[in-house]
Amino acid sequence: MVEQADRRADATRLQIVKAAAHEFATRPYSQVNLDEILVSADVTKGALYFHFRSKHALANAVIEHRAELGWATVEQIRTNGLSGLETAIDVAYLIAVSDIGEADARAGLNLLEAVGRFDGLQAKVLDVWVNGFAALIRRAIGEDDVVEDVNPEHAARLLVSMYLGLRQTSNLDEPESFIRDLESMWMLVLPGFANPERLGYFAGFIRRRSALAIKNASPLRASNL
Amino acid sequence: MVRQARSEATRRRIIDSAVALINEIGYPASGLADIIERAELTKGALYYHFESKEAVATAIIEEGMDTILGAFRSAGRLGSPAMENIVHGWFVVADAIMGDRVAQAACRLLRTFGGFNPAAKSTYGDLEAEFAERVRSAVEQGDVRSDIDADAVVATVLASMLGAELVSSALTDGRDLRRRFARTLEILLPAIVTVDALGYYREFLARQSMRISPSS
Repeated sequence: MVEQADRRADATRLQIVKAAAHEFATRPYSQVNLDEILVSADVTKGALYFHFRSKHALANAVIEHRAELGWATVEQIRTNGLSGLETAIDVAYLIAVSDIGEADARAGLNLLEAVGRFDGLQAKVLDVWVNGFAALIRRAIGEDDVVEDVNPEHAARLLVSMYLGLRQTSNLDEPESFIRDLESMWMLVLPGFANPERLGYFAGFIRRRSALAIKNASPLRASNL
Repeated sequence: MVRQARSEATRRRIIDSAVALINEIGYPASGLADIIERAELTKGALYYHFESKEAVATAIIEEGMDTILGAFRSAGRLGSPAMENIVHGWFVVADAIMGDRVAQAACRLLRTFGGFNPAAKSTYGDLEAEFAERVRSAVEQGDVRSDIDADAVVATVLASMLGAELVSSALTDGRDLRRRFARTLEILLPAIVTVDALGYYREFLARQSMRISPSS
């Protein structure tokens, strides 16, 4: 019986987190109102406060929810027979496509910038990203796709910063131009660490992913809300 | 519950025994008596699960081809071009066959039965349908030539790969399957891939074939 009650509580919690993600995905943190989350999650105020003390606690839960989901997808790609650098590019495109089209992803990244900074959550989540990319770059050095004298952590940090910056300067609600901007950035930084002899191949690899990402990305506002 | 688990274990033992025999001496030479003896079961136990030797073969074909088709499907990802998924898919299939005795026996049985066993027949159909879907996407994405018939591409590549598997199985017991798949694709690529994409796919193929399989 206790187990069943626990499961029900978990389901309610997830329901609240998902409803909150939809709100946080499309509006700035300050404009999101807990009462509206109550309505769209279809839960009582008591239930919400039982799980989350405050809007801030709820925002942190949205970030963590997304971080877990995101990492599970990356693990899936990593076991798919691609090289380290190919996987890194695939992961970057996967992040972009979900950021464009999925409320969970968009909210997680929006909030990471808005509230994550203050209690170490941002550092924690970004560390996972940086370490993940660094491991891929390290593998890529072994596979001769990345030149030997590159520091994997530095390259990884550059890739993560590049994406977080792109979210600010480009427009996620215009998938095609966002993907084109992502492509230009990759093409620009690639000669900084990739094996010069393989640049042609990786340019083809990136271009093919752009074409597909543009086809697969559906903007959040139009379809998913 | 217990009985069901025991029954399932018995069925498993029959299949495993038949798989071992088929891989060692071939289907025609493997008699029901040999399968029973190797599984250390009674005739009654076998007939409880399978009405004939061919029924055992059908079960092996189904299980083995599930593994192989599953491998080809799992190699396809939404974010990758269809032609990459095709090339990668064949290597995943090679690994699946090399790493799974049931799949190896299933390939042997497919050849033994051809169109005479309904499971074997439908398997070829499933393979063709799965593959055709990828080829059509690859044409759409501009990687496979649109001026040749997509069905002809499917038929030619599939026949060549099945043939490569046969020769590899006969000559090296399947040990050089990856290499044979790679060389077959190398020859086929210029025939089916667009001029613009050829350089890219030659390199993609070379990278894939050099990659060490996860199972080895």
